[in-house]
Amino acid sequence: MSVRLSIGDSIRQALSSVHTVVFPTTERERERRRIAIMTIPFFVLAIFAGFVPLATMLRMSLSEEQLFNEGWSVDAWETLATDRTYWWIGFNTLWFAAAATLVSVAIGVVVAHALEKYSLPFERVIVAAVSFPIALPGIVVAFMIVVLLGRQGLLTQTVAFFSGRSAIDLATATTIGGLFLGYVYSLIPRATMILRGTYAEVNTDAEEAARSLGASPFETFRHVTFPEIRPGIVAGAILVFRSALAIFGTVLILQGGFVVVTLRIDRELAVGFNSQIAAAIGVVYVAFLIAFTFIGLRFVRAEQVAI
Amino acid sequence: MTTPRTSPSRDDSTTGDETQEVESPTDDVDTETALGREPAFQVADRQPLSTLLGRPVVVGVLLLALSVLVVPIVTTFVSSFARTATGALPTGFVTLEHWRYVLGFGEYGVRANAIPGLTFSVGIATAGMLLNVLIGVPVAYALSRYEFYARDWVNTLAILPLVPGVILGIAFLRTYPERGGSALGLVVGYCLLKSPYMVLTVQSSFQSMDLRHLEESARSLGASWPRALLTVIFPHAKQGILAGCIITWTLAAAEFNFTYMVHTGDPKPFSLFLFRNISNAPYLQSAAAISIYFLIVVVAILVLQTIGNSGFTTVRE
Repeated sequence: MSVRLSIGDSIRQALSSVHTVVFPTTERERERRRIAIMTIPFFVLAIFAGFVPLATMLRMSLSEEQLFNEGWSVDAWETLATDRTYWWIGFNTLWFAAAATLVSVAIGVVVAHALEKYSLPFERVIVAAVSFPIALPGIVVAFMIVVLLGRQGLLTQTVAFFSGRSAIDLATATTIGGLFLGYVYSLIPRATMILRGTYAEVNTDAEEAARSLGASPFETFRHVTFPEIRPGIVAGAILVFRSALAIFGTVLILQGGFVVVTLRIDRELAVGFNSQIAAAIGVVYVAFLIAFTFIGLRFVRAEQVAI
Repeated sequence: MTTPRTSPSRDDSTTGDETQEVESPTDDVDTETALGREPAFQVADRQPLSTLLGRPVVVGVLLLALSVLVVPIVTTFVSSFARTATGALPTGFVTLEHWRYVLGFGEYGVRANAIPGLTFSVGIATAGMLLNVLIGVPVAYALSRYEFYARDWVNTLAILPLVPGVILGIAFLRTYPERGGSALGLVVGYCLLKSPYMVLTVQSSFQSMDLRHLEESARSLGASWPRALLTVIFPHAKQGILAGCIITWTLAAAEFNFTYMVHTGDPKPFSLFLFRNISNAPYLQSAAAISIYFLIVVVAILVLQTIGNSGFTTVRE
């Protein structure tokens, strides 16, 4: 009985707090109402476009029926857990995204350094050009790689011209190398833009002091600049890695003989409409992404987050 | 406020820096040793390697990265005006044949060109953008202005897309089998997928203002809270709102991953037109199709730069 009473109490409490939000009497309660008014539209969107579909996807992975959610079955999860193919796909996705992140962030640091520390001509144009690929969908990025490394690609044709070998043998756009360049192509701009934000906050007095005390440019970078931009590098790596995991269009076009999670989901649906398995992969993916984001953000200050 | 930014102060400091780089090390080392102190850093007699090579190497990497990013874009655009592309470089300039084809002029069929899809996508992207203003601006304000329970969680949710387009697509189809792939489904999906860009740009506008002070001044002069918001606070953040609009609109106009998963029927969105061209069309025709989108992005970046963004990014200077 006591349990039921306390449930009744908590319902009453919840109702009264809803009541104070809707009909506030003090300034503090009015502020709460304002917060509610301002955040409710976002929550409505997040619930109906985000959480409900995700919950439905979880149900979908446990559905017995293929075309709609009916009956219960854990077959898809059993397949996912026992079939080694899926483990390999997960592993491939992670290392490939991690490697692309590493390369992109490293290049991003160098590019941001050059833009921030040197007075280069046409700096505005360079920044605009570097940010341009952020706007490109994955399929267009894939085309850019074909332009560079395809059979008629600029690099392919150049190498073919100098080495005398056939361009068809030299084309690498649809290999794993081409795919990697595709990843890096879409990630370098993001990494660079995040790191530019970090570089803007670096204390230049300390760098000048180090230089005038006789440190070489590299020592200055290693001991003074790097510790200051390290939080930005961590934030950049986390955000870029998240973007890398979500890449789909580029892989769909280039293939590269390499299957990542997003492509596999598409394949599961395209061949035999294995909706339960596709949904199960999706659930694992989202769970991983959420866990990674919340763990990752513990090491990052909120103002460093940018996309 | 809307004038293009130049940064004279930074240019000055950098040039000042460079003159120091040449002279100061030797001077300072002499004083340090004369005073009998250990120099803070080991100084070799000859110039350190990074003084000689540091800058050329860094600029070299910048140029390499820049050319990998830009050369294919320029090549694609230029090729779209070429007649043939059999050799190393496209030849036979200038023809508008491919542009005429993708834009649907001349004797070509109506369904094969970009215009119906582009019109449809522009409409959807605009609706998604407006919805994003209605949703993103208030939540950005609440997050910048107030402290409340679970604020950090709400913040993370609002600024980081937790679901990628492909997966949201499957989930949408099962949840809303009738509406998932319709125009409404696309608007709502784009709105959720692109909302972080709006929240981030608006938030960074709010962060540069003293929100509490502004709001209290407006209120003490007699404005009600809604009026203070609509006539004082939000107009102050118009640059961020505008930047968010341009970014969310441009990204939604060519969103592929989600669209590919959910969309069925006609008219096909612009991104599916691009997909059909990229995966299954002559090289030069694909180039022209993609160049349409390049022109849109160039305009977007030019507008973003005039309102104070450095490029196609939420990061502000």
